[in-house]
Amino acid sequence: MTKETGTGLTQDDVERILRLIDESGYDEVRIEYGDLKVHVRRHGAIGEASGAQTPAAPPPPAPSAPPPSASAPAPQQRATPKPAAIPEGLVAIRAPMLGTFYRAPSPGAPPFVEEGAVISADAPVCIIEVMKLFNTLKAGTSGKVVRFLVENGAMVEFDQPLLLVDPRAAG
Amino acid sequence: MRHIRRVFVANRGEIAVRIIHACRKIGVETVIGVSTADRESLGARLADRAVCIGPPASVSSYLNKDALVQAALSTGCDAVHPGYGFLAENSAFARLCTDNGLRFIGPSAEAIEAMGDKINAIAAAKKAGVPTVPGSDHVMRVADALATAARIGYPFLFKARAGGGGRGMRIVRAENEVEEAFNGATMEARAAFGNDALYIEKYVESARHIEIQVLGDQHGNVVHLGERDCSVQRRHQKLIEESPSPAVTPQIRDAMSSAAVRLAQDQSYVGAGTVEFIFDSATREFYFLEMNTRVQVEHPVTEMVTGTDIVAEQVRIADGDEVAIGRGPLRLDGHAIECRINAEMPEAGFRPSPGRIDEWDAPVGEGVRVDTHCFPGYFVPPFYDSMIAKVIVHGRDRPDAVRRMDQALSRLRISGIATTAAFHRAVIAHPDFQQGRVTTDWLERRFMPGYAPPQRSEAAA
Repeated sequence: MTKETGTGLTQDDVERILRLIDESGYDEVRIEYGDLKVHVRRHGAIGEASGAQTPAAPPPPAPSAPPPSASAPAPQQRATPKPAAIPEGLVAIRAPMLGTFYRAPSPGAPPFVEEGAVISADAPVCIIEVMKLFNTLKAGTSGKVVRFLVENGAMVEFDQPLLLVDPRAAG
Repeated sequence: MRHIRRVFVANRGEIAVRIIHACRKIGVETVIGVSTADRESLGARLADRAVCIGPPASVSSYLNKDALVQAALSTGCDAVHPGYGFLAENSAFARLCTDNGLRFIGPSAEAIEAMGDKINAIAAAKKAGVPTVPGSDHVMRVADALATAARIGYPFLFKARAGGGGRGMRIVRAENEVEEAFNGATMEARAAFGNDALYIEKYVESARHIEIQVLGDQHGNVVHLGERDCSVQRRHQKLIEESPSPAVTPQIRDAMSSAAVRLAQDQSYVGAGTVEFIFDSATREFYFLEMNTRVQVEHPVTEMVTGTDIVAEQVRIADGDEVAIGRGPLRLDGHAIECRINAEMPEAGFRPSPGRIDEWDAPVGEGVRVDTHCFPGYFVPPFYDSMIAKVIVHGRDRPDAVRRMDQALSRLRISGIATTAAFHRAVIAHPDFQQGRVTTDWLERRFMPGYAPPQRSEAAA
């Protein structure tokens, strides 16, 4: 039997959504559809702990340098994405696309890898989300994870170094 | 409605710089998405923030809708300015922006689609009482083309329904050329647009390209800002534009601009748009060509003679403001000319000449404006189009403007790469240009055969 819920969703739709959530493996899911807001959390999962997948308040843009005038178009250096210096002997794993960076496969789940862990080249290290598409990034190089350079939930730019790996410490 | 506070610039080059300046002027912040090749670009340095959206290839960066929208959302932007080219007339991108709560600084996705389909656009023009070129709807077979030709006569043009930029286009001068041209244009249109539908238009020889700038707002107002004459073209690419047109009388301007405004009104058009016409110098008749649903490269000549800022106006319109300009009788002040300077070698078939700019010294002074993203030490990347600057001058009349352009070009010093600046000086020095007798075929048919590259031979001697 189909029953309208007043949101344009039928009972079938709601059941289908719940089934999808159940099969997804995520501990916590939020859905917004018009005025309808659904927030489902598996028992035991800690809400709001790690991956805040709801958009945060707009981050302020970096402070701007005074604009050079059109007649003197030779601007001073300013905060364009500059390749960070990679310490010698270490390898940076870089973002293959712009998106939102997540260290764990789902909010509330433990991170793919911790700093200090020794990983293989095909180990997943993070997720980058672009327009609701979740792309799992593999290390591509084996070694010891020295340090993550990006906070969970932050926007990363294309080619931005995400974490440093020491390949000499490969197991 | 919340006001636009931060605009995402989804473009590069001079138009990105232009958008950033316009936004700053009206107190709006900017974030620009750049490819790795443009990290050190002027736009990246001028914007409040720059984010790297992808590798140099446009398909992965400036045409990457998801990355651009994601970047705009992640940086807290509330609107997206697409500039021209790239995704400026891509209705799917406009829709993706609005679906994600970003205001698209341009017309609605529906208006972009309506004008992007050229047969549809012609039908809309007819409905608005705008003169169109004699021709046909979709021609599916050679036999249809022959029947249309019997009605309208030769020469005629095959054009691509999804067209633009001269691709999928063929001139047919006689019956025995029809079949080959039909097949060639079909293949080219399929390759370029993924849509091989063609239509026929009577080919008007000795035509000028004249276009009307319109602005529509969300309150139903549509105004025009006069015409631009873009008849100096090479391979359907505009090289020099001016306003007003030396061929347009006040009566023709009235007729053309009211036709353009009617068409825009019928579309409930919002934002800046351009209605293009061909103008038959012999009969003084004009015909609708197409409508471009974006800001044009050549918008500065209109700004110079009307005292407006079209890009700032675009942002204000997207923010819900009423158009503030052009509401009364139009007053055109003096004459403006724009030369598009490309990093190309005219003496080598206009081969692109990317590379490091050693010396860059642009002219400044009264009535001179240079829209550019270049500076000393800038590397012109080989991945994008070759335009490096627009030199725009404003004079009290056309001869004064031509004189100023010659002076401005002579003071434009660029070394390290080849440019078309000297070529432009030769074009504006030609008697045909000075007397305003140029049609769209003039540059290639009349000017080029007699053109001798100036300095090179002297330097070698």
